[in-house]
Amino acid sequence: MFKILNLSNIFYWIEKLIGFINSIFFILLLVALSFALIFSPPDYLQGDSVRIMYVHVPSAWIGLASFSSIAILSIAHFIFKIKNIKLITKSIAPIGLMFTCLAIVTGSIWGQPTWGTWWVWDARITSMLILALFYIGFISTHKFITDENKANKISSIIAIIGLINIPIIKYSVDWWNTLHQPASIKLTGESSIHSSMLMPLLLMFFVLILYCALIFLMKYKTEIIRIKKKNLNRL
Amino acid sequence: MIQNFLSMNSYGLFVWGSFAITFIACGLLYYKTLKTLKKYEREFAREINELSSERKKVVIENSKIASQVLSSSSKTI
Repeated sequence: MFKILNLSNIFYWIEKLIGFINSIFFILLLVALSFALIFSPPDYLQGDSVRIMYVHVPSAWIGLASFSSIAILSIAHFIFKIKNIKLITKSIAPIGLMFTCLAIVTGSIWGQPTWGTWWVWDARITSMLILALFYIGFISTHKFITDENKANKISSIIAIIGLINIPIIKYSVDWWNTLHQPASIKLTGESSIHSSMLMPLLLMFFVLILYCALIFLMKYKTEIIRIKKKNLNRL
Repeated sequence: MIQNFLSMNSYGLFVWGSFAITFIACGLLYYKTLKTLKKYEREFAREINELSSERKKVVIENSKIASQVLSSSSKTI
């Protein structure tokens, strides 16, 4: 079991997985885009502007899931002091930041035709902006603090404090009166979205998850090489 | 029909704009990540090649990663 977790073995599997994802990614992307832009029906109220949902919602999900993973792994890093965990969180953070920003930008674009405004200081939107700031704080500590142990400690604290924001984002539409609509897709309970729209949404989510996996693996591979390079210099 | 598809019933600018921003951002992140990875691979391979032949042999024998990076960098060269 622990042999699999060895960096050399991980490196070998990363190469294989990158090759596999590259081989299927563009076909799946074309299928997902066809469903999102052609085959899925327009909404009875929002018309074709509803198609923005196919990039906005997966981006928001990925932004939230990435930060939750970073925070949970940071707690694990505090307890178990496994260096590998920090390599993982460092590799996830830029992906999470990009998708959080995309969720904010595409949400703003969607807001103009549906709400009549690009931006409101609404609880959901503001809490997403705060999430982006936590990501920037996390990435900045690794970029600007040269002492690696100190950077790891500060970034872990930022991630753990930022975890408080996740349930605020999730429940902001229930706790406050907001312009943003409540969740249409629920893990427990019945979803209020029709299957003709749910299927393209899940397909786009899957394709973007594959993209995230690809970027994560490439970043993780870079981190492993960086460490090996450092060890080589110490020789 | 194509005009309808492009105009998205007058929501075209918003819909295409959102998709374009998403894919441009994804493309840029992919490009930047790949560029950094290749840079580190090249630097690592160069540093191994600069070692004395004896040390180079030891490093390659003891590190699967070093040998993999060396072989992939020689392929790209």
